[in-house]
Amino acid sequence: MKRIFQNILSPVVSGMEAAGGWFTKEVHRFTITGLSRSGKTMLFTSLMTILKYRSEGKHQCLPLLRYLPMELVESLRMEPLEGFEMFPLEDHLSALERGQWPRSTEMVCGFKAIIRLRQTHKIKKHLLPYTDVVLEFIDYPGEWITDLPMIDKTYAQWSDSCLAQQMSPPQKYYAAEWHRTLLNFNFDREPTLMVAQELVWNYRNYLKRAKQDGIAMLQPGSFLLNCSGFDWGEDGFTPLPTDISSDESHPWTALFTKHFIAFQENWLKPLRETTFRESDKQIILVDLFEGLNHSKSHVMQQKETLSHLADVFAYGQKHWFKETFFRKRSIRRVAFVATKADNAPRVYRSDLYSLLQDVASSAVTKLAKNRIAHDYFLLTSIHLTDLGSTKKAVRYTSVDGDYREARFDSLPPFITFIMDEDNYPVLRAAVPDDYLPRILSGVGMDKLFQYLLED
Amino acid sequence: MPSTEDKSPRYRSRITEVSLDQTAPKMSMPARLDDTEWDVEEQQGISLKAVTLMLGVLAVVAFMVFDAIEAIVTRFSAFPVSSTILGLLMGGFVVALLTLIVREWLGFRAVAACIETPLNFATLADMESAGEVTQIIDRHANRFGKGSYAARCYKQYQQMLTDDMTPKDITSLYEHTVAVPVTAKAEEIVKKEAVVSGSLTFISPNHLIQTLAISWISFRTIRRVARVFGLRPGTAGSWRLFKVLAQNLAAQSLFDMATDELANQIGGSLAAKIVENSAEAVAAGALNVRLGRTLIKLLR
Repeated sequence: MKRIFQNILSPVVSGMEAAGGWFTKEVHRFTITGLSRSGKTMLFTSLMTILKYRSEGKHQCLPLLRYLPMELVESLRMEPLEGFEMFPLEDHLSALERGQWPRSTEMVCGFKAIIRLRQTHKIKKHLLPYTDVVLEFIDYPGEWITDLPMIDKTYAQWSDSCLAQQMSPPQKYYAAEWHRTLLNFNFDREPTLMVAQELVWNYRNYLKRAKQDGIAMLQPGSFLLNCSGFDWGEDGFTPLPTDISSDESHPWTALFTKHFIAFQENWLKPLRETTFRESDKQIILVDLFEGLNHSKSHVMQQKETLSHLADVFAYGQKHWFKETFFRKRSIRRVAFVATKADNAPRVYRSDLYSLLQDVASSAVTKLAKNRIAHDYFLLTSIHLTDLGSTKKAVRYTSVDGDYREARFDSLPPFITFIMDEDNYPVLRAAVPDDYLPRILSGVGMDKLFQYLLED
Repeated sequence: MPSTEDKSPRYRSRITEVSLDQTAPKMSMPARLDDTEWDVEEQQGISLKAVTLMLGVLAVVAFMVFDAIEAIVTRFSAFPVSSTILGLLMGGFVVALLTLIVREWLGFRAVAACIETPLNFATLADMESAGEVTQIIDRHANRFGKGSYAARCYKQYQQMLTDDMTPKDITSLYEHTVAVPVTAKAEEIVKKEAVVSGSLTFISPNHLIQTLAISWISFRTIRRVARVFGLRPGTAGSWRLFKVLAQNLAAQSLFDMATDELANQIGGSLAAKIVENSAEAVAAGALNVRLGRTLIKLLR
């Protein structure tokens, strides 16, 4: 009798399952925005590793992620995202195994994590036994993010603001040689391709050197990547002295304006329309320690960058019709995240949180106009520090292999509290041997995704 | 073009670094989730009650043997070894009995303390110090009996707890790893017990057996739910729970009278009997659910 029932019901159940996929699939697409070195790649590596160990090994990770209860997770699948290269998780884990940090992203790639949850509802669990929660992520070079605010500027505006930024610390020091080149350059020469390339080459050298020393706010960041979809060798441009850039008829201004417009039209705008637009949640990563490593003005630049970013992305409320039929999404929930939070001793985490709020304040003002929900989080993708001998200290293994203790005098809760001459050098930590448990002990990811998913 | 300084940026570092003559401690992998099925009847080792009973039986047997020996030998003989063994057995019996009484009393006190001072999650989340919140939760969890479902959930909560968590995080973690699953498990047990209660009522041939069955199931519900919460209300139990139990029995008796009257009106047919028993079964199940819910409300 039972068999007859099973025979009758099985096609119905399988049909329901197939149709149910349509009803029981939840798709969340996340844009993870962050400047170069903000920890995007490590965040992805950690996230994928944690989800895998949480689901397959039943390790108690992400305890505050109630949206995906551990006991209900049936399975986890990682798949490439349509139209994107698969995120190279295995390569990054191999690098960590060899004691090297994963290479920073130079090409856009993505992945989706399909988490199958068991139904708990009495009736639903017989008809539609599973719910698939699909989390889609795209990783792209942070240098592209730096360039997005250039979309709405004219060449002259960009050139002037760029030079002004180079006149203030910390860029001032790195730009010295480039400024000498500009001073000595004869702009009466005809702007041939070769001469223009020479100037662009000089400018790029400044960008490369500054980036090497941890300066993230460098435009155009795309010039630093050989694999960006823009040929900086042929169509490159540089900022020009104000007296030249203000003269639109000047041959150099005309040439660089042409190249600048090509950069906007052929590279930045398609980038914004394709890669950055199709998301409903945004995570903005900020490595406050990179700012604090240099000076107050660098932290100010981080604040300015976040403010510009808020102009670039499409924000708005959920619109079922648009999303279903026109596949148009808009970001309706934003999380500001300070990465590498374990670098700060526990007593200063509240100050770090406060500083994050301060750095994000201009961007938040813009989000508030669209009534976009936002929150702030401290995140540790991999736990690199241990408790120090005092509450104001942390211990870590440096890249030299030394086990060190870093003792903090303080940590500024607001930008105004940073003295001009003060800095907080970044802790250059080595990849620990026990990197896997340290990834699985990462902090903050559960609260972050709970906030974004519970929408 | 304004002139540019060539000097490298000089800052005053607010971090002092010191090399240590030791290596970094190794971190261990996070604990795994214990997903084995929790059994409400599962007993770990021999219970104290069983030991007491065994000692009692042994003592009786020993006395019988002693009497037998006494009868066989002489009344006047001195029995130092046997007397010592009997004394030890009796001593053990008395000690175990006293321990049982003390534990019953402590269990009763734990239930009373749990009822009088429940955890207020809103207050905990608003507290300033994470350490204080952990202490309050730990104090509360100290009452959980070993091997109880609450103790098992609490162990998982402790494994998931990290130093970085704020009072809000800790409260939320406790709520979702201990309070909510424990309540859900208790409700699941109450539902099962209600079905058993209803079934027994339905098949009971007379009211005496029915009352006994309901009493037994009610006691069992109290014991099982209390085990989920990790509390031992004790055989003596909590007066507040027994008050609900007494109300249940009284309500069931009233319902019996009502259904008797209904059956009389319908006639003495089999259908009338089924209707009467069904109604009583539903009422018994509902009353058992009421008992369980009250218990959950008190212990939560």
